[in-house]
Amino acid sequence: MENSPSSSKFMRWFDPRYRQVGTWAFILNRVTAIGLTVYLVLHLFMLGKLAQGPEAYDSFIALAKTPLIKFGELLVVAAGILHGLNGIRITLNSFGVLVRYQKQIFIILLILSVTAIAYFAYFMFFLA
Amino acid sequence: MTDLWNISLIISRQKTARKRYFDTFQLEVNPDEYVLDAVERVWAFHDRGLAFRHACHHSTCGACAMLVNGVEKLTCITSIRSVTHNSGKLKIEPLRNFPVISDLVVDMSSFYTNLELARFTQVATLKDASLPYEKEQLDTTHERLVDCIECGMCVSACPAAHTSEKYHGPGVLAAYQHSYNQEKDQFLLEAVDCQDGVWRCHNAFECSSVCPSNVDPAWRIMNLRRIIIQTRLGRLFKK
Amino acid sequence: MPKKPHAIIIGAGFTGCALAHDLALRGFSVTVVERGEIASGTSGRTHGLLHSGGRYCVTDQEAAIECIDENIILRKIAKQCIEFNSGLFIALNDADLEYAPKFVEGAEACHIPLEKLTGKEALQLEPNINPGVILAFRVPDGSFDPLRLALAFAASAHKNGARFLTFHDVTGLFQDGKGVVAGVEVWDRASDKKISLQGDIVINATGAWAGQVAAMAKVEVPVVPTPGVMVAFDKRLTQHVINRLNEPGDGDILLPQRRMTVIGTTSFEVDNVDYIPVIEDQVREMLERATELVPPVRNTKMRGVYMSARPLIGTIVQGRSLSRTFKCYDHQINDGIDGLVTITGGKATTCRIMAEKTADLVCQKLGIQSECHTSEIVLTSYRNFYQS
Repeated sequence: MENSPSSSKFMRWFDPRYRQVGTWAFILNRVTAIGLTVYLVLHLFMLGKLAQGPEAYDSFIALAKTPLIKFGELLVVAAGILHGLNGIRITLNSFGVLVRYQKQIFIILLILSVTAIAYFAYFMFFLA
Repeated sequence: MTDLWNISLIISRQKTARKRYFDTFQLEVNPDEYVLDAVERVWAFHDRGLAFRHACHHSTCGACAMLVNGVEKLTCITSIRSVTHNSGKLKIEPLRNFPVISDLVVDMSSFYTNLELARFTQVATLKDASLPYEKEQLDTTHERLVDCIECGMCVSACPAAHTSEKYHGPGVLAAYQHSYNQEKDQFLLEAVDCQDGVWRCHNAFECSSVCPSNVDPAWRIMNLRRIIIQTRLGRLFKK
Repeated sequence: MPKKPHAIIIGAGFTGCALAHDLALRGFSVTVVERGEIASGTSGRTHGLLHSGGRYCVTDQEAAIECIDENIILRKIAKQCIEFNSGLFIALNDADLEYAPKFVEGAEACHIPLEKLTGKEALQLEPNINPGVILAFRVPDGSFDPLRLALAFAASAHKNGARFLTFHDVTGLFQDGKGVVAGVEVWDRASDKKISLQGDIVINATGAWAGQVAAMAKVEVPVVPTPGVMVAFDKRLTQHVINRLNEPGDGDILLPQRRMTVIGTTSFEVDNVDYIPVIEDQVREMLERATELVPPVRNTKMRGVYMSARPLIGTIVQGRSLSRTFKCYDHQINDGIDGLVTITGGKATTCRIMAEKTADLVCQKLGIQSECHTSEIVLTSYRNFYQS
């Protein structure tokens, strides 16, 4: 059967050896996409709970201030920034724009992302 | 005289209807020789049963592409020095994403069939043979054999080609782009404007990174996408 | 309806493939047995010069005429893999200038079209050649892809029913009760099985290995494997093929191919042709010669270096003076062994005529009347070789 799934094909996607920048960017986009989707589902679930009244809200806020949840939220912010910026890169490339510089653009957006994530981390853990 | 190196060649073997296994050979080689020379030595002096493809030994025919230590290489121009060290190992396997006929020989017939469908011609003017972003002469009086040597390394490196057997693959899509650039035939665009054509590509760029011959298939795929979108939008607004 | 005669051809280089094409067209059933991939012997390693014959028009006019005639035919039937940008013979010193009138005379005798250029005109055409060029002649040289030329013939043969068994080593020739060669013993490397193939005629087209294969029938063929070194550089420095205007020597051909420049070659004898290591001194020599013709070679990276063993006919005299024309040996006449024919010698450019002469001989031996049409039929796309 053509295009049929198999365990070897699945495992090849997770083989990190000898991969180039382009594949790493792709893997990053997939992983952040899954992360953001999971987060979205959790978020909607939480909102549903919050609609049940003020006590639910207060207990939720208490939970949200714990370091573990804060870290999780930082990951969400990171995922959003990376996925967004890389998404712009992929969209541009897909329309034949700046394809020859895809590696350099990825490095630049990584640097921008790390800077932005560091700022958010500082903001979330030391100021808020 | 260059000092000789002692290296181990670990070669993938597979005979019809039998399981794949590896054979190890110890060789003394000149490190400035090429990986293909080492494989040929194994055939000439150690095991005449070894099956492998080679013809021109100077990167014009594309026959000798193999996986060397896990990476696609054109073995006739890959020096032993560049892939290992003295007392080192060289793992030699056939290209990925093609059925193996025997040892290091793979079946690329569907690849060639698709290249024929793309009406890919090997000889073109200097201008048509080079990429638009290169500052080569816009010469239309001289001709040359084009860059793509149909070695299949791009298909071997492509993760999408691994997952999807029906995917045209980078080499074939690059060929369509090359033909379209010369003929401007709408039929060529329609042939790749499909789920298993240009839209299957996920921008891994592995193809362009392993191509030994300046084809830049990834760029060509994106170029096709741009042309297809422009054509579609144009049609939309004409209505 | 009489059964088609079955020809077994050993060797799928240029000769074997062109012969398969010719015999298939003449109504034979053809099986080609090759121990490697198509053109994996000497044929694949030719640098790819489509000779105009200019190189031989003074010293070997028979070869020169063959070349120019076949050059014109191949340009027509094998356009798909030929870069046809012409070639230049350049004169760099007085010795070269002395050769010029002989060259003009020779070219005329062999009907090779020539165009005379001044040094300045030559430099305008090819700015990378030695600025000391005094005068030049333009000839219809070209550059082709070796594997694809062989595949084009093979694909055309395949289309007409020829069968190609690659990765099949011939381990012996067997004879029938009357001592006539009746077929070959073959080792299929892909499945590691031994099989016998019967044929009405066996043709030994193994080029530099013709002597080894002929020995399996206990006959001798005077072919001398004569290797030479080729060096490929990483830049396309000229559009034309560049030759030295003088008698044929080492390292005096420099040709463009794709994005490369290839220079060749030297000449020496060996015994074992299965693996010939590169000799570093010869590479250095090639570099010097190439730089004389096209100085920018000195700063261009080497892309590949390899050895290629041509089949030269004759007894061992001096490497370069052996005739480069080809010969068909009917072993019934020479050695009393029927059913076996050897074709060896020659050059890539003359593969089609080699096949024609051999096919004529084969038909004559089997009492078949037929005509050769290979000079008119455009070869099918080389990729069709891989279709079933």
